[in-house]
Amino acid sequence: MNQPTDFLMLDSGCCFGEPRLKDPNYQDFFTFIDVYDLPEHDLSPYKCLVITGLIDQELLYRQKDKIRRFLDEKKVLVFSGNLFLPWLPGGSRFVPKQIRSHADYEVRIAKEHPIFAGVETYDMTYNKGVAGFFVRGHHPLPEGAEVLLTLPGGEPITYIDRTSTKGTILVHAGNDLFGYNHPGKSTGRIAVQLTKWVRDEYRQLQQLQEGGAYV
Amino acid sequence: MRKIAALYGGSSQHFRSLNESKYRRYYEKLIYLPDLERTSLDEFDALVVPSQLHMGLVMKSRDKIREFSERGGIVVAFGPQPREWIPGQNWELRPTNFWWWLDKNAKSGLVLQKPDYDLFSYITLEDATWHQHGVYWPPEGAEVLISTEDGGAVLYVDKVSTAGTWIVTTLDPDFHFGSYFMPATERFLDGFLPWLAEGNV
Repeated sequence: MNQPTDFLMLDSGCCFGEPRLKDPNYQDFFTFIDVYDLPEHDLSPYKCLVITGLIDQELLYRQKDKIRRFLDEKKVLVFSGNLFLPWLPGGSRFVPKQIRSHADYEVRIAKEHPIFAGVETYDMTYNKGVAGFFVRGHHPLPEGAEVLLTLPGGEPITYIDRTSTKGTILVHAGNDLFGYNHPGKSTGRIAVQLTKWVRDEYRQLQQLQEGGAYV
Repeated sequence: MRKIAALYGGSSQHFRSLNESKYRRYYEKLIYLPDLERTSLDEFDALVVPSQLHMGLVMKSRDKIREFSERGGIVVAFGPQPREWIPGQNWELRPTNFWWWLDKNAKSGLVLQKPDYDLFSYITLEDATWHQHGVYWPPEGAEVLISTEDGGAVLYVDKVSTAGTWIVTTLDPDFHFGSYFMPATERFLDGFLPWLAEGNV
C-alpha cells in the first residue's frame, strides 16, 4: 500500500462518485477504499473519515462500532448527506424541508467559522439563479452541537458535534463539502478551508487530555 | 398485478425512493444488493435496477439478471448505467445540460417516438423531462419510446435480445425523488410503476 494519507474516503462504487476518485486535487492526501472493504480496513493511520450521501448506510450501520472506535481515538469524521439509519453517534434522521418558494432554501450563517470564511451565502444558495442544490433539509441536533449554517426557519444544516464521542463529527445535510473546490465562485474555497480545519481540529483533539485540559 | 422486485443499494436516495409508501406497495420485495447473488429471482415477473448502485456488485450479478430475462422476466434499468451489463448496451455519455429550461425558447430536446405505447396512458412526455446524462443506441428491433432530436434513445424497450423484456432509460427519476429534488421525477414514478405493475408492457 502507498504512504498512508490523512484522509480516508469511502467509495460508494456508483458512477456519480467516480469523478472524485480521479480528481487530481485529492490524490496526495486522500485514500479511497470501496465501502465494502471497510470491515477489513485498518483505520488507525487516518486522521479523518470522509463519508458522502451516496454510501450504503446499511453497511455503515453494521460497522457502527468500528466508526465509533475510530472517533473515540480522538479523530474527525465528515459526513455530507441525508442520514436515515442510526450509525453515526449523535446523528438523527434527516428531515426534508417543506418548500413553498425558492427563498425557503436560502442558506444563512449561524456562526462565522473558518470552513465558510469568505464564502457568500448567495453562492451557497444559488447555482445559475436556481436554489436547492446546496441542501434540502436538516438533521436535528445532538446536545451541545455547534451550528454553522441554517435554513431560514433556523433548521441547522451544518453542525459540529464534539460531545457524542471523544472525537469531532461534522455533519452537513447536503452534497459532499469536499466537492466545493471549483474556482470562480466563493463556494470553491470550502474544500481547502475544510481540509485545513480538519487538520487543526485533529491536532487539538490529540493534544487534549482526558478531562479537557490541553497538554 | 405483476410481482416486482427492486434492488436496494442502501443509500439514502434508494431508501427513500423505494420505501415511499405509494411506491413500496408495488414492490413485492426489496433485495439488498450485496445479497442479490444468493437470492432467487424465480418468483418475480419484473426486476427494477435503480440508478447509482455499486457498479462492481451489479457487474457481478450480470449473468443472474440476464438469466432472469431469459426466463421471460422484465428488467427495468434506470440511468445512467455506464458499465455494460445490459444486452446490446450501447451507451454514449453526453455532458448533462441541467440548465436548458433557463434558455429563451427553452426546448428539452426530447421527442416522443411512440405516443400510442401504453406507457403514455400513464405518463406524459413532460413527466419524463428533466435532463439526461447521455443516450443509448439500442439493438436493432428494440422500440425507442423517447429519444433526443438526433435519435439517441432516452427510453427504449428491447424484446429481441433475450426472451424477456428490457426497459432501459437514461433517466434517473428514482435518484432525484430520493434526493428530494425535481418534481417531474415524482410524476414519472407515479405513472411508471402502475404501468409496470399492470400496464401493457
